[in-house]
Amino acid sequence: MSSSSLTCGKLASWTIAAVLLQILGLSLFVIGFFPVKPTLPGFSGPESYRAPTCDPVLDAEERDLSSEKLRTLYKELSKVPPSYGRLVLMVIDGLPAEFVLGRGDKPPTKAMMEAMPYTQSLLSSGKARGYYAKAAPPTVTMPRLKAMVSGAIGGFLDVAFNFNTQVLLDDNLLDQFKRIGWELVMHGDETWIKLFPRIFTRQDGVSSFYVKDIVEVDFNVSRHLDVELAAEDWNLLILHYLGLDHVGHIGGRHSTLMPAKLKEMDDVIKMIHMGSTVHHQNPDASTLLVVVSDHGMTNGGNHGGSSYEETDSLALFIGSGVESLEFSMNAHKAVHQVDIAPTLALLFGVPIPKNNIGVLLRGMFDTLTDEQRLRALQLNSWQLLRLLQAHLPNFLCGDVTCISGEDNLQTDQSISSMKENLCYLYSRAVSAHNAWLLRQISGLTSNDADDLGYAIDSYYDFLGNASEWLSHRATDKPINLLLSGIVIMLISCVLLLNTVLKLFKEVYITEGKYCSQPKEISQVWQVDEAFVLIGLVIHALSLGASSMVEEEQYTWHFLTSTLYLLFLLTTIRSLFKTAASDFMKMKKPEENLTLHLAVSNDESSYTTNNRSLPWTKLQENHQLYPVLVVLIFGRILRGWHQGGINWVHLPDISKLLVQAGSFSIKALQIFSLLNFMLVGSFAFSLVRSRTHFVHIVRTSYFMSGCLVLLHIINSQTHNIGPTDSSATSVAQLFYICAGSAVLLTVLVVAMLFLGMAGHFGLGNSNSLATIDVAGAFIVLEL
Amino acid sequence: MGYGEITASKALALHFLCGVGLAAGYGIARLGCDLSLVADPARTLRLLLVVEGPVIIGIYGWVRRDREHCSMRFFSVFTGGDSIRRLLRGDCSDFPLILIPLVQCISSGLLSSGALLNAFGAIVLGAPVGLKYWLSTIYWSSLMSLFTFVPAVCVFGTSRTDWQRILAYSKPKEGVDCLISLPAQGAVIGAWLGAWPMPLDWERPWQEWPICVTYGAIAGYSVGMFASAVFVHVLGRKVHVKDD
Repeated sequence: MSSSSLTCGKLASWTIAAVLLQILGLSLFVIGFFPVKPTLPGFSGPESYRAPTCDPVLDAEERDLSSEKLRTLYKELSKVPPSYGRLVLMVIDGLPAEFVLGRGDKPPTKAMMEAMPYTQSLLSSGKARGYYAKAAPPTVTMPRLKAMVSGAIGGFLDVAFNFNTQVLLDDNLLDQFKRIGWELVMHGDETWIKLFPRIFTRQDGVSSFYVKDIVEVDFNVSRHLDVELAAEDWNLLILHYLGLDHVGHIGGRHSTLMPAKLKEMDDVIKMIHMGSTVHHQNPDASTLLVVVSDHGMTNGGNHGGSSYEETDSLALFIGSGVESLEFSMNAHKAVHQVDIAPTLALLFGVPIPKNNIGVLLRGMFDTLTDEQRLRALQLNSWQLLRLLQAHLPNFLCGDVTCISGEDNLQTDQSISSMKENLCYLYSRAVSAHNAWLLRQISGLTSNDADDLGYAIDSYYDFLGNASEWLSHRATDKPINLLLSGIVIMLISCVLLLNTVLKLFKEVYITEGKYCSQPKEISQVWQVDEAFVLIGLVIHALSLGASSMVEEEQYTWHFLTSTLYLLFLLTTIRSLFKTAASDFMKMKKPEENLTLHLAVSNDESSYTTNNRSLPWTKLQENHQLYPVLVVLIFGRILRGWHQGGINWVHLPDISKLLVQAGSFSIKALQIFSLLNFMLVGSFAFSLVRSRTHFVHIVRTSYFMSGCLVLLHIINSQTHNIGPTDSSATSVAQLFYICAGSAVLLTVLVVAMLFLGMAGHFGLGNSNSLATIDVAGAFIVLEL
Repeated sequence: MGYGEITASKALALHFLCGVGLAAGYGIARLGCDLSLVADPARTLRLLLVVEGPVIIGIYGWVRRDREHCSMRFFSVFTGGDSIRRLLRGDCSDFPLILIPLVQCISSGLLSSGALLNAFGAIVLGAPVGLKYWLSTIYWSSLMSLFTFVPAVCVFGTSRTDWQRILAYSKPKEGVDCLISLPAQGAVIGAWLGAWPMPLDWERPWQEWPICVTYGAIAGYSVGMFASAVFVHVLGRKVHVKDD
């Protein structure tokens, strides 16, 4: 005994060490997987209109100026006059660009064209300019809004902040506008208010958590339109419409509600455009209407991932400067969502936000003079250079090689590293710009257009490459950290396996002293054990397919049901086996018989093992029923809620219940709760011991049951979603039944299977869209 | 013919006939009636059932161990009587007469009891229960019962000891056991594996219930048939070695 206790201590320490290692490895992996990229603090100021220097102290020059002074200062320094005085930023949540611009060369479908007649007429007459503004994953609202106003791509961890929105502290357009004394007004998604708590003069936030609401949520925005369009006091009006996203969440991309919602959006666009053209004569008050969507949606109406459908968002510019140019219908360019930020910044005469990685949209500055166009590109390049310098210390400082001369310009092969490449592209752009300027001064206008084109192209070359590198940098994962995390986790796995093996050996040896024929047991239970192993492996393999992750609930239900069908099979088989051995009257020793019964795990049949006929036994036998109950209830639970991505629209029990109305839901809840309490009390009556502990557990059980009952009776059912307590009790029944199938070797896996099947059966899924955040927003009714 | 003494060549021939039946059913569906499993699973499965059913009942009835235990009338039509032989000779004059007991047999509960078990398994594992799928489910489970349950009933009849033996022992020890249990297990495992592509988002028509499950079952059945022939061969050699 002393030796085994010693092993116990050893085992415990090994296990603790392995678990600690696991935690360490996991945290290393997580740190590596969600990198925190360096961002520049502070806001862009007048210094952004000067070329970046190598001395950071000179750059960080802060002056407190009044907004009026700042505005004139910006005007002087930038040499790019603001083209517009007012901006209407209309965000249509979840609108795929395909609905407006079509996909690739194909125009949008006829239904979509007919749903948005005004927008389509603007596009076809060249009065509006549309872009495919590719959104970066994660395609959820808050990170996308941040990307649009700051031009920066956040890490994946931003998803976590989407539900607990925090104030945007980085440099962004709205703060820049506020600095030059703009009045900002916002109506729509309250995410804006969470991002910018005190910036808006007037605001009316709507909640995006009532996903079923597709009418009021937009009406609450549109009702302000008349007043706001008549008002003169604002410079930036943000309208964020959530209805279209809600339509998608309810009915998917091709929902029948979609055309009507698009028509509503089209009417809003028409109203704003009509309203803004009234002030057309006054250049200071000329309005630019920007219609953007934060992300697209999948066929099922979800979003969050990186598929084409989800990242396919829209940027539509409607204004007086846009319309003067020829712009053919099908030439919509694919750009990045972050490009909106620098474009708007320069169009409205504010510095580009510091962390912006976007590039000026081609075509938006065509109305400016050539000099101004190049100047705008130069400003964008300087801003990106500053950001590059934050990532690459000493970039463009000290290494003169790449700026050396004209000889290098033609030799692309010599450029090996990215740093040199960017350096080369930048210097080429600068020299082209200077060359063009020189020609202008000297009055040589022979091949003016070519020079200009070359300068612009070289600027875009640099900007595109720098932007791409910076955006990759944002999602780059330090491979060393990831690898070390994985290696540490593997080591921990090996340690744990080793411990388990040792434990098994120990148990096996001690068991071997009492059991004469352990081989026979393993033979009989091979089906279960083998399946448990195979099932785990298959599940792990299935996670390699993304749709298997999306539809994981089917995998778990399938595995659980298969496991229980195997239980059923082995139970029947063991019954037949004992019956057969009795039937043939084989003279086996008594221990052998009890062994068979131990195999069948039927404790009650210890007393009745002399009754031989299988059919009567089958009737008497209690152990078949729990398995059958689990199978049947498991199937009901599977049909309770259509989870996942692809088959959400199919009918299920929870939808039926919602249709049936609140009364039947309440009745079912009460019925199932009572049923559940009945089963529980039955289980307690089976407990032999009458200790205080059992009494305490029993009373607390009843207390909680009564409390839930009270809650159901008192609560208004409309705010209880499909994952109501009746579903919970079904899951709990599942667990109770699991307790009765006592199979020591397979028990752990059976519990895992049941737990996961129950988890997914309640309507949970791996999709971000099904995280029920509403629970966090329930307040007590007073 | 003694029980358990079945030669490998005979087993192979039996399975070959079963496979030919299956292939013929599929061929008739494909060429004769212009049906395919993907386009119209219910009717194709029904046709497969109608063609394969008599083949399997006939073949396994012929293997049947002791005719005295057999309480079901229709066996005599297929095995005692010479209808099959007449049919094989091409004398189709009493074809409807053969069909009558066949219909009787299907309705008599042989297929349906096995089909019930299979349908229970399928539904518990997640087969859809909507009205749209009822017919397919019925035909699919009947076909599965033809693969799993019917051969056993044909061979064992109502002999309780045989049933106990085949259920209690997972490892087949005699030739006929192999002949029955391996293809059945193959069909079940094949169907189980065949269900795995269903949740994938490939949006192919064959991902619908019960199409890929049927494909899986047929593939598994074929593998099982082949394996059982091999097993019978191995077992036969063992017996011979023992005899020597």
